[in-house]
Amino acid sequence: MAAPSMKERQACWGARDEYWKCLDENTEDVSKCQKLRSSFESSCPQQWIKYFDKRRDYLKFKEKFEAGEFQPSKTSAES
Amino acid sequence: MLLLALAPRAWLRLPQLKRLVCPRTPGGDSLRMRCQLLSRQGPAETGKQGQPQGPGLRTRLLITALFGAGLGGAWLAARAKKEQWRQQQRTEALRQAAVGQGDFSLLDHRGQARCKADFRGQWVLMYFGFTHCPDICPDELEKLVQVVQQLEAEPGLPLVQPIFITVDPERDSVEAMARYVQDFHPRLLGLTGSAEQIAQASHNYRVYYSAGPKDEDQDYIVDHSIAIYLLNPDGLFTDYYGRARSAEQIADSVRHHMATFRSVLP
Repeated sequence: MAAPSMKERQACWGARDEYWKCLDENTEDVSKCQKLRSSFESSCPQQWIKYFDKRRDYLKFKEKFEAGEFQPSKTSAES
Repeated sequence: MLLLALAPRAWLRLPQLKRLVCPRTPGGDSLRMRCQLLSRQGPAETGKQGQPQGPGLRTRLLITALFGAGLGGAWLAARAKKEQWRQQQRTEALRQAAVGQGDFSLLDHRGQARCKADFRGQWVLMYFGFTHCPDICPDELEKLVQVVQQLEAEPGLPLVQPIFITVDPERDSVEAMARYVQDFHPRLLGLTGSAEQIAQASHNYRVYYSAGPKDEDQDYIVDHSIAIYLLNPDGLFTDYYGRARSAEQIADSVRHHMATFRSVLP
C-alpha cells in the first residue's frame, strides 16, 4: 500500500480538523458529528484514524492537565 | 609604560586646561567665538600662554586615544583568541561525540548509492522518518524545507543539502521515497536501504525506531525519535533541533555555524 500523497494527506488533515472542531463545539458528543466522522474515516488510512483518535485524547488530557483541571481518580489517589 | 604614566595625567588636566583657555566671563557672541577658536588651537599656541608645561592638548588627546585604542585592541584580540579556542574545543568534543560516527551506505531516491563521504564539502540538514507517517514527519520535513529555502534566498551562503532517511525500510523502497520527496523540495534527497543498512545509519545518529503492530491493511506506524541534524562540510555532526524549534530559530543557528566554521580536515 502506497503512502498517501501530499494532496491526500492534506485532505485527511482537513477532514480531521473539521471533525475535531465539531467535537469541540459539541462537548465531545460523537453522535452529533457522525457525518464529519464518516468523512474523516473516508479521507484517511485506517491506521491514521486510530492514531489521530489517540492523539486527540492525549491533546485533550494535556489541555486539562496544563489548565490545572486534572484530578487524579480516587482509586489512584488512595493507592 | 610611558603611555600608562601619561594618560591619566592628561585626563586629569583636561578640565583644568579648558577653564584656562576659556575664562567663564559673561560675554557676547564674539567672546564665545574667541573661546572656541582658542580651544581648537594647537599645542604651540597654548604653550605660548605660559600655561601647563609638557605636551599640549592635542598630544595629550592623541596619547589618550592611542592608549585607549591599544587597550581595546588587546581586549579584542584576547576575546578572538578565546572564541577560537572555544571553537576548537567544541570541534574536538564533536569529533569524539557518539552521534554521527561511522559511515552509512544507502540508496538515494534515484537508486544511486550514497555514503557519508559523498556529502563532504556540503552543509547537510538530515531528518529520519517514514513515508506513511501521519503528521509529525511531514510537519518536520516541511520545517526543514523552510529552513533550506530561507538560507537559499540569502546570497553568499553555501547551499544546504536536505536529506530524509527512512526508518521503515520494509515499505519505503526507492520508488516510494521518490514519490514522497518530490512533494517537499526539488533538492530533498530520500535515502533508503536494507533493514541492516538502515539500522546502521540510525544507530550512527542514535535514532531510535520501532514499528508498531500491523492492522488488517498491513498498515503500521513507526515510532521514532524526532530530531533534525546539522552536519558541517567536514561531515561532522554539528547540532540538532527538536520539534520545539521553529524554522527561523534553526535557520539562525545554521547561519551562526556557517559563520564560525573552520574545516579541520587536511
